[in-house]
Amino acid sequence: MKSNIVQEKLIHKGAEANLFCGVWFGKNVIFKHRIPKVYRIEELDRNIRFARTLNEGKALIKVKKYGINVPTVYEIDRNKALIVMKNIKGEKLRDIIGTTNKIKLKEYLKKVGQFVALLHINGHIHGDITTSNILLTPQEEIFLIDFGLHEYSDKIEDKAVDLHLFKRVLLSSHGQNYKVCYNSFLEGYRIEYENNNLTDYKEIIKNIDVIESRGRYVKPGERL
Amino acid sequence: MKKLCLGIESTAHTFSAGIVDFEGNIYGLANDIFIPEKGGLHPALVREQHLNNFRSVITEALTKANISINNISLIAFSQSPGLGPVLKIGALVARILSQLLDIPIVGVNHCIAHVEIGRLKCNIKDPLTLYVSGGNTIVSAFESGRYQIFGETLDLAIGNMIDSFARDAGLSHPGGPKIEKLASESKKYLPLPYVVKGMDLSFSGLYTAVKRLIESNEYNLSYNLNDVANSLQETAFAMLTEVTERALAHTGKDEVLLTGGVAANQRLQEMISSISEEHNSKFEVVPLKLAGDNGAMIGWTGILRYKAEGGHSIEDTIIKPKERMDQINIPWRSEN
Repeated sequence: MKSNIVQEKLIHKGAEANLFCGVWFGKNVIFKHRIPKVYRIEELDRNIRFARTLNEGKALIKVKKYGINVPTVYEIDRNKALIVMKNIKGEKLRDIIGTTNKIKLKEYLKKVGQFVALLHINGHIHGDITTSNILLTPQEEIFLIDFGLHEYSDKIEDKAVDLHLFKRVLLSSHGQNYKVCYNSFLEGYRIEYENNNLTDYKEIIKNIDVIESRGRYVKPGERL
Repeated sequence: MKKLCLGIESTAHTFSAGIVDFEGNIYGLANDIFIPEKGGLHPALVREQHLNNFRSVITEALTKANISINNISLIAFSQSPGLGPVLKIGALVARILSQLLDIPIVGVNHCIAHVEIGRLKCNIKDPLTLYVSGGNTIVSAFESGRYQIFGETLDLAIGNMIDSFARDAGLSHPGGPKIEKLASESKKYLPLPYVVKGMDLSFSGLYTAVKRLIESNEYNLSYNLNDVANSLQETAFAMLTEVTERALAHTGKDEVLLTGGVAANQRLQEMISSISEEHNSKFEVVPLKLAGDNGAMIGWTGILRYKAEGGHSIEDTIIKPKERMDQINIPWRSEN
């Protein structure tokens, strides 16, 4: 008898998980396996993998209902550190920033800003917003992925750290397009807050400077 | 006669002089390290010691190289980042020598020097670098003409955190090697805060937690110092390894370089080696003598900058205690 669940081939080896494509009850899916890391002791390793699997699975289910594009979750197996989710076919934002025209780029980053704002407004912190964790589909839809470091928080500080991390990735990996990307991202972020008649975005964005000033060898505003 | 550079390191506890030729051979290296009787590094006391000893350190390096100061044709010094009063000593000595000998002077960023000496001596081209020391915890790689910082600590540096804890536990300075030894005698793991934010890290919560463990009534009953040391290392190094692996996946580099004083730790080496292997990357640890703060790395990086764009004017040799490595253009490396 043919199995309803078929894991086909390894399509990506990430920093903490291996991604396999396959079929799950007729659907094209991704199997995300958080693999044991031999470098850390077993107890710590299991705690991290189990907690992040459960955390990511739950977060994906929760944030989808706010209208944020994330992969649909079909199955979570904590003890195997496995999530089965919809296979989103798209390119990493990281790989297309350099070759996309400015107008499109602004549009994409604005959408990213809106999604991140929706997360924050609803008390979710992504925890690892990088251009590797944002997908663009052929239909030009933006998807957020990789919620392993997701946290629940309504603190200004935590939201500002989330933005700071993304700013850093834009600076370090996309220096040429940093300004366009970051400004459009913040614009989208602001617009979404305003659409919800909220103004906390001002304080959150202001707090990015405070966080940066706490880092090594920087004064506020001296970073650029 | 080969062209020789005198490199002067003076950012924190170490005053060091290194003699390097323009091909990267090191002829002489001498250090004087400030070791506090109690507490941490007091800038005024470090400055006093460096002021008292700079002459003998430079003389020792010259003697080892079997040359006189007149054979030097370039002076390089650590211009940033570090403790202001301490940086000033290195800058002062370098300026005086440059003017007396009438030879060019060039200022060097200490963090970049750590990477450059590693590239030279470990024979690797374009690594992802984990630089861990008493003052720094940085994951860096070369992109868009600069040494970009992909991850760093949001508060304490790893070496500072370990040394502070060692001090709290009554161990003398430097605490790192002692903690490593104690940790190797325990297999017990006590859960501790594990804080990774993207590719950034935070060690302040971990520090508070281990401090509480040794202040607790349970201390020396259900666990001892070896167990705390082991748990501290396992947690902190797993955090470092995780962000390094994430940066490795993100940047797609195929070489990993481990440097800084904490690079001497065998357990950390083992962990970073493990992820390098998993991502088919070459792994190198900078030789201990050159992984800690030293004048040779300053000399070599000074040579690289001098070859690319000449020396600095005296006005440009002002110290920059807070300069980050990602603020500096790297004219000697072509874009990749």
